[in-house]
Amino acid sequence: MTSKCPLVSVVDDDESVRESLPDLLREFGFAARAFSSAEEFLASDCIGNTRCLILDVAMPGMTGLDLQRELALRRQKIPIVFITAHRDENLRPRALEQGAVECLFKPFSDTDLLEALNAALRVN
Amino acid sequence: MEIGFSLLIDALPGLVWTALPDGNIDFFNQRWCEYTGLSLDRSIGSGWEAAIHPEDLQELLESRRLTMNSGDPREIEARLRRLDGEYRWFFFRSSPLTDTDGRVIKWCGIITDIDRQMRVAEEGSRHWWRSKGARENHFRSIVDRLPVFVTLMNPNGEAVLANRQVLEYFGATLDEVKGWESGSTIHPDDRSEALAAWQRSVETGEPFDFEGRHRRADGVYRWFHMRGFPLRDSEGRIVLWYLLQTDVENRKRTEEALRASEINLRQIVDSIPGLVCTMSPAGAIEHQNQQILDYFGKTAEELRDWAFTDAVHPDDLQHVIEVFTKSISTGTLYDIEHRCRRADGVYRWFQVRALPVRDKDGRITGWYVLLTDIDDRKRAEEALQANERNLTQIINTIPTLAWSARPDGPAEFFNQHYLDYLGLSQEQAQDWGWTVAVHPDDLNGLSDAWQHIMASEEPGEIEARLRRFDGEYRWFLFRANPLRDESGKIVKWYGTNTDIDDRKRAAEELRRSEAFLAEGQRLSRTGSFSWHVATEEITWSEQVYSIFELDPNLPVTLGLIGSRVHPEDIPLLHDMVERAKAGKDFEYEHRLLLSGNRVKYLHLVGHGIKNKRGNFEYIGAVQDVTERRLSEEALSKVRSELAHVARVTSLGALTASIAHEVNQPLSGIVTNASTCLRMLAVDPPNVDGARETARRTIRDGNRASEVITRLRGLFSKEDITTEPMDLNEATQEVIALSLGELQGNRVMLRSELADGLPPIVGDRVQLQQVILNLLRNALDAMSAVEDRPRRLVVRTEQDESDSVRLTMQDTGIGIDSQNLDRLFDAFYTTKTAGMGMGLSVCRSIIERHRGQLWAAPNDGPGATFSFSLPCQPAGLKGATSIGGRQTPDTMNRRRVMRNL
Repeated sequence: MTSKCPLVSVVDDDESVRESLPDLLREFGFAARAFSSAEEFLASDCIGNTRCLILDVAMPGMTGLDLQRELALRRQKIPIVFITAHRDENLRPRALEQGAVECLFKPFSDTDLLEALNAALRVN
Repeated sequence: MEIGFSLLIDALPGLVWTALPDGNIDFFNQRWCEYTGLSLDRSIGSGWEAAIHPEDLQELLESRRLTMNSGDPREIEARLRRLDGEYRWFFFRSSPLTDTDGRVIKWCGIITDIDRQMRVAEEGSRHWWRSKGARENHFRSIVDRLPVFVTLMNPNGEAVLANRQVLEYFGATLDEVKGWESGSTIHPDDRSEALAAWQRSVETGEPFDFEGRHRRADGVYRWFHMRGFPLRDSEGRIVLWYLLQTDVENRKRTEEALRASEINLRQIVDSIPGLVCTMSPAGAIEHQNQQILDYFGKTAEELRDWAFTDAVHPDDLQHVIEVFTKSISTGTLYDIEHRCRRADGVYRWFQVRALPVRDKDGRITGWYVLLTDIDDRKRAEEALQANERNLTQIINTIPTLAWSARPDGPAEFFNQHYLDYLGLSQEQAQDWGWTVAVHPDDLNGLSDAWQHIMASEEPGEIEARLRRFDGEYRWFLFRANPLRDESGKIVKWYGTNTDIDDRKRAAEELRRSEAFLAEGQRLSRTGSFSWHVATEEITWSEQVYSIFELDPNLPVTLGLIGSRVHPEDIPLLHDMVERAKAGKDFEYEHRLLLSGNRVKYLHLVGHGIKNKRGNFEYIGAVQDVTERRLSEEALSKVRSELAHVARVTSLGALTASIAHEVNQPLSGIVTNASTCLRMLAVDPPNVDGARETARRTIRDGNRASEVITRLRGLFSKEDITTEPMDLNEATQEVIALSLGELQGNRVMLRSELADGLPPIVGDRVQLQQVILNLLRNALDAMSAVEDRPRRLVVRTEQDESDSVRLTMQDTGIGIDSQNLDRLFDAFYTTKTAGMGMGLSVCRSIIERHRGQLWAAPNDGPGATFSFSLPCQPAGLKGATSIGGRQTPDTMNRRRVMRNL
């Protein structure tokens, strides 16, 4: 089952997101893994099979954008959907420009998320 | 004098002797010696007795003895042997010389030749007793031939015989002549005296000697010298008187004439306005006029001893005696000026001249002396001399250089001061010598000026430097004035050179400092002014005119100033005039509106002082601060933009922070709720999953609530640091910080801060933020006001016994009384650009200080905001805390902030 379902990884320092979001992703039919920081994700074995990365922008230590740059450097073309609690209008275009699929402002609806995931999987 | 006296004695027509009081003869004159052939040495003592006829000696000695015993004058006849041995009759007379006490100090005697008379009488008497008849005839024949009147009388004084001359003269018989003693022929004026003298002679037996007038037969009176001698028998009884009468009419007339002449002379002498006297050849005063006696207030006798009295001033006496003695001994003119003592003791100056009078042989017979009072002249001379001395002193001591020059220019006189200054002698400076001391740079100018002055013949002056004796050049003002004669021709130039070096230097200094000041004013664009409020007299420095762009010749008036002041700032001008009238200092910033709508900003400061005349005036400065002002405004604009950006930024940050903190749980809530819905929507519903997500939703909801609670705590639970503070001081600091803004907004601020305000306890910075906030609100409220003065009154007062109050009253747009309650609500604002947070925060700060903040509309335009705070309780000192927790600090505040 697990192997059939595409893996979506969640990286967010906020625990409530790490708790709630994988459950919703699984309801969508994805496999889901949650990481509390960018460093934890980079250290895991999920980079290769992650089909989409849901990434918080502002985190202590390496930020979401830092991780995006790091993955680009490693030539890991994982589609990324940014999520953020900061409603910064400048952030979204910058993220999209650097190759992100979507940038969602917290709190976001389940449909917006599903749309973004579908778009990300289409990229692949 | 002794010599003179001796000469006099020798000149007397008689033999003279003197004797000591005891009768011992100590002196004979020359005539005695010549007559007797006895030398003086052989004569004195008793040597003289050898010359007396032996028959007469006894009687003579007896007579002298009697004389000396009685001290009375006595006379006796005796024969004296002449050098050739012949005896002649002499009349011996002696009298005592006594001192003031009446003691005899000397006897003086004179021996006169009466031989002729005596022989006549002797003849008569000799015949008398020989034969009466014959004698009578003989006598008559003799006496009738004598050219004198002879009358013989019996001892009773009755005429018994008279010669022919007598009878012829009187034109009478003897019997008629006998009545002589009845005096019928004697002039009535002489009669009683003549009879008395005769009577006395008859009674005493003393010779009779009288001069009187006798009437001739034709009734004419003639002068006669009558002498009668008694003839005594051997027992000394008078047996006969013989009377000789000599016609002395001619002599008498001469004498009369002489006397009359003398009287006349005397009258002249007495009446001439001078002091006159005569002196003997030896210099003894013989005669003096009345003026001398009156002047000296001395008797003639006292005057003779002038050399031993105070008649001549003691300082002059010695010199007078020297000159006098020399003149008398040499017979030269005596002419001397000396002081003579007046009767009242005052010494006056006299010119005393004595001229010797000489007889035809050239011998001095006397001196005429004239004393002329020259006191007034002398005093005038002395005064003149003193005056001249004084003038000389003045000229030589006045602290200026004085000189005179000839009409054609060369100098001829320099005062001592001038010579001392130059260090030159009179000879060196003479003519043009002084010009060596003129500074080379000034010499031509001085020379030209001097030529010009001389040519113009008018007073003139010029400044030049003169070298002092020590080489230092000093500036002098040369002044020359012409002296003219009656025709107006210049006879001399007088001049003074006044040292103006210090003044010159001071003037130079002043000029320089004025130049500095003017340059300083120009560079700093600062002008100065004085303003005499009472007279409205205003004086501007050049720079003020330049700032106002006005003609420096225009008189400054308030109207003129008003014409340049920006119309919007005219109220400031009125306010300034009001303040000035109240005598207060002032400081303003106002604008000028100049041509081409150019605006200048001025900063004006006025300080009231009492000037030297005691009048009140303002001294002040005006600075053109346009550039500063413009740059300030530009800066201010940048600052306010920056502030705005900062405010927006920080607000954004705050908002973002709040949003982030809230969005996180919200995000969880939404996700969980979505999951929950999806878990319940499948068949069969995943109830356990849904329960779990619902539980997470509740948890995240609580978490969001906690965030809000923490956010509120950030503002409401903050503690404040408190300290005792003076509300007035805090207010003044805020005003000082806001002056620029106040003036920039052309707001007239009046602060009425109560004296003796009790201290309060609070957070100084927070309270100052409240005051600043209220002040800015007031400025904002007045910013649109153009139709009335923008006035702000800041007042502090003690509200009740336990609180102080600050009131800020503006003339702004005011507040609607209906909105009073909402004013202090957060987010309520009447401002287009406001957030509506200020008053809300202010009220919370004041309330945390246990005070109150409120607002009220004014009766007129504008609003009044006030707060009151409790005073510091007595005895509570030092820092304390009002809030619940003790030491929150800014670090703590930041941490709370970050945790939001």
